Amino acid sequence: MELYELNLWMLMEGLKAGKFSASEIFTSCKKRIDQCEGEIHALITRTDDTPQSAKEGVLSGIPTIIKDNLCTKGIRTTAASRILGNWRPPYDATAWTRLKDAGAVLMGKANMDEFAMGNTCGNSAFGPTRNPNDTSLVPGGSSGGSAAAVSAGYVPFSLGSDTGGSIRQPASYCGVYGLKPTYGMVSRYGLISYGSSLDQIGPFARTVRDLQIVMSVISGHDKMDSSSFRDKPHDFTHNEKPSIKGKKVAVVKEFSGFTLDAPIADAMKRVQKVLADEGAIITEVSLPVVSKYAVACYYALAMSEAHTNLERYDGVRLGYTVKDARGIKEMFERVRSYGFGAEVKARIIAGTCLTEPTRCEEYYVAATKVRTLIAQEFTRAFGETDYILQPVTPSMPGRVGESDDDAMKGYEADLYTLPVNLAGLPGLSFFTGYAGGLPVGLQLIGPRWSDSELLDAGIILENHLGGPRIANGGVK
Amino acid sequence: MAELTFTPVIGIEIHIRLKSDSKLFCSCSTDTDAPANTNICPVCMGLPGTLPVLNHHVVEQGMLAGFAMNCGIRPKSLFFRKSYFYPDLPKGHQISQCDLPITTAGYIEVHDADGNLKKIRVHHMHLEEDVGSLHHSASDGRLEGADTSYVDYNRSGTPLAEIVSEPDVSSAAEAVEYVMTLRRRVIYSGASDVELEKGMMRFDANVSMKCSDGRWGHKVEVKNMNSFKALERAIEYEIKRQKKIMLQGGDVIQETRHWNDAKGITSSSRVKENYRKFIVEPDLPPLYISQEWIDRVAARMPEMPDVRANRYVNDWGVPREVADVLTDDKNLADYFEACVAAGANPVRASHWVRTEVLRVLNEKGQKISAFTVKPETLAGIVARVDGGTLSTTQGREVFDKVCAEGIGIDDAVKSLGITEGGVAGNALADIVASVIAANPDVLDEIKSGKDKKGKKLKFLQGLVMKESKGQAKPQEVAEAVAEAVK
Repeated sequence: MELYELNLWMLMEGLKAGKFSASEIFTSCKKRIDQCEGEIHALITRTDDTPQSAKEGVLSGIPTIIKDNLCTKGIRTTAASRILGNWRPPYDATAWTRLKDAGAVLMGKANMDEFAMGNTCGNSAFGPTRNPNDTSLVPGGSSGGSAAAVSAGYVPFSLGSDTGGSIRQPASYCGVYGLKPTYGMVSRYGLISYGSSLDQIGPFARTVRDLQIVMSVISGHDKMDSSSFRDKPHDFTHNEKPSIKGKKVAVVKEFSGFTLDAPIADAMKRVQKVLADEGAIITEVSLPVVSKYAVACYYALAMSEAHTNLERYDGVRLGYTVKDARGIKEMFERVRSYGFGAEVKARIIAGTCLTEPTRCEEYYVAATKVRTLIAQEFTRAFGETDYILQPVTPSMPGRVGESDDDAMKGYEADLYTLPVNLAGLPGLSFFTGYAGGLPVGLQLIGPRWSDSELLDAGIILENHLGGPRIANGGVK
Repeated sequence: MAELTFTPVIGIEIHIRLKSDSKLFCSCSTDTDAPANTNICPVCMGLPGTLPVLNHHVVEQGMLAGFAMNCGIRPKSLFFRKSYFYPDLPKGHQISQCDLPITTAGYIEVHDADGNLKKIRVHHMHLEEDVGSLHHSASDGRLEGADTSYVDYNRSGTPLAEIVSEPDVSSAAEAVEYVMTLRRRVIYSGASDVELEKGMMRFDANVSMKCSDGRWGHKVEVKNMNSFKALERAIEYEIKRQKKIMLQGGDVIQETRHWNDAKGITSSSRVKENYRKFIVEPDLPPLYISQEWIDRVAARMPEMPDVRANRYVNDWGVPREVADVLTDDKNLADYFEACVAAGANPVRASHWVRTEVLRVLNEKGQKISAFTVKPETLAGIVARVDGGTLSTTQGREVFDKVCAEGIGIDDAVKSLGITEGGVAGNALADIVASVIAANPDVLDEIKSGKDKKGKKLKFLQGLVMKESKGQAKPQEVAEAVAEAVK
């Protein structure tokens, strides 16, 4: 067995026991990246950190990869957009600072959909990432590079961000675990914003226990982010035999009529049985507003926030610019016309229209009200159940390049993930097994701030369903 | 047909820089005079991934400013993103409380044309961030003809209060009194120094005209006034312009006009008014202000200038006009009160501060805060004049000497050769004797009885007074001379 195949907690224990060195882990991961990266293209930038420069901490010498919308001091950060050019941020994102302070070694910045807008990892100015389980397929997005890197064994864990499913969906497509934490659990400082009230940073790993380790490092209050929680830190300590006995796990009534790909429908049944066998009570909750309005509400809000977040890219202070523009208007137009990709432009235009003074009430303001209703609906639902079980996506991953033409199809595929962001809930995307060689994931959702209980439930599922293997990574 | 009359309807928007060492959403210094782009950080540069964090000190400054305008404080207010593209606006949107501001309504009192008190209602005051500043490479520093423009972000993110009035202002004079009174009260509150020469107060005015025939002209927004004078002239110009159009039966176009101070005119802004839209700033939680917090800040509110002036008039008998002058400048009023506290008679001290202190400050081009004569010293001079040991003229001479040389009262008295308490008794008798000895012919004339009108006697008195350097009492001089010529 190669070192790159070991999970995070195994690497930590092995290092502690002196079974191998950080340099050996580093070399093994580096080799694995060299072996697969030509085919997978999970990275936008490879970095030259070494374990020798790592700090002392719980993650000392552990290689990692973070999504390229997380700012890294002195290291090119692109958000997969041409508009950022060769920008090297003068500061680190707080989540990365915490990993670095814990001793993590950065191997690279992961590919993504431009500004996290997309669910295929195909909207990248640097070309698409491929699914390590089958390179003809998409890895999902927007955090496709981060998911693919963990799945292919580049690194034991990575960071992504989730605005409407961008951690959970690629985790499911690539066959890894991915947690979208409660909004406010992880500081967003240094995360290049897409939809600020929806964005949340979270980890990918090949075991739930590894997610717990990463969460214990990156979560907690940050005075640089006014939306990060201020209470005492959450406890992500690993418990080998957590119990779900007597807890209620609900499926959503309104979703029962929707079509699912067979492997996903099978997984839903299988997982309910596993949970029932563990003593959980399987029940049903009703989310009528969510099922009817969440998609429209989500895109209205995400695009409204996105277009204001993207107003800062004008070529004046950083990134791509033009030197020979006559007048500021021409400069702005040329920089933004060339700098942004098609999907980003579409969402900027949509966001501008949705907040335009004569329509603002009808769309943006209405969406903020619907959002409140959705949050209330979840609050009510979590009065009746402890967890909600549902698919991550209705279908298995599409082929690279395929779904890019039909934007609306892509938007609707997010129905199972984006309500979680609207309500600020934690959502765990977990591996359930393989179907035809492809991993199948499902999603477990909990009330706000129940992240650690959610991961405990994830341990039970992992114990029963088994964890994923390292994906082939396109190696012939 | 009766002659048409016009009533101007004017609303005023004011931007005031709030006093704070650090910016509204980051910890950078607010020193905008520092070398370009030295007081900046990733947050006020709007770099990708950065988030604003509200400066609570500025919130308190905003509360003080609000109190100064008789506004209430809202328990919950919000921040919004106000979008427009401009190179000195780093994020492409300004964070502003425009839609749910920190204060509720308030008012400022001014005098109308008949001299009666009138309330100009303040619709609200809100907090927002300032933008950077542009420097153009054209020789005159203006945009026209410049090849290159440079941006200095030192000002980016410095805290502003925007104050929006109701359209209650009816003349340029009321407008000026409104902004002057408001400025004075804000300075008193400690919320801002409002130094006009540093651009800490900027004005926009919405002007429209109501005609006696029932017509109501469209509203015109006039921008770019940075002084009281400019505000006054711009409003006067706009009133005249709109009146003329309406008298000719024309329509006043609703538009934004730019005040050109050098030409003394407003002109239609060629740039279309930027189309702005708001969304809630998702990176900042709502601003909640508890009653306890409001009370704590309200306790810091000093006495406002009008209340203070009334106290001078009612408690101390200071003339109204003098009281108004003293309280116009908080530091001057503080100085005056320090004189009184040091034992000076309030009425006398008020005149001294009003005439002598202001005269010296004017001559020196100084502010009261830089004035070197301590209030205790001035109180000492006032007391001596009051007690009669110095004449009023002597008092002034001593004051000037103290101002000019920075010495104490006694040293000034000595160096001026003043004998306190005056020349009397033997000293006076000696002077009289020597004057008479030097003018025997005058003495002869008096003695011969020719000086029927007492002119010669007056002449001798004058000489004695001159010899005594004015330090003798006229009555005593008259008596001493009369005695000596008998």
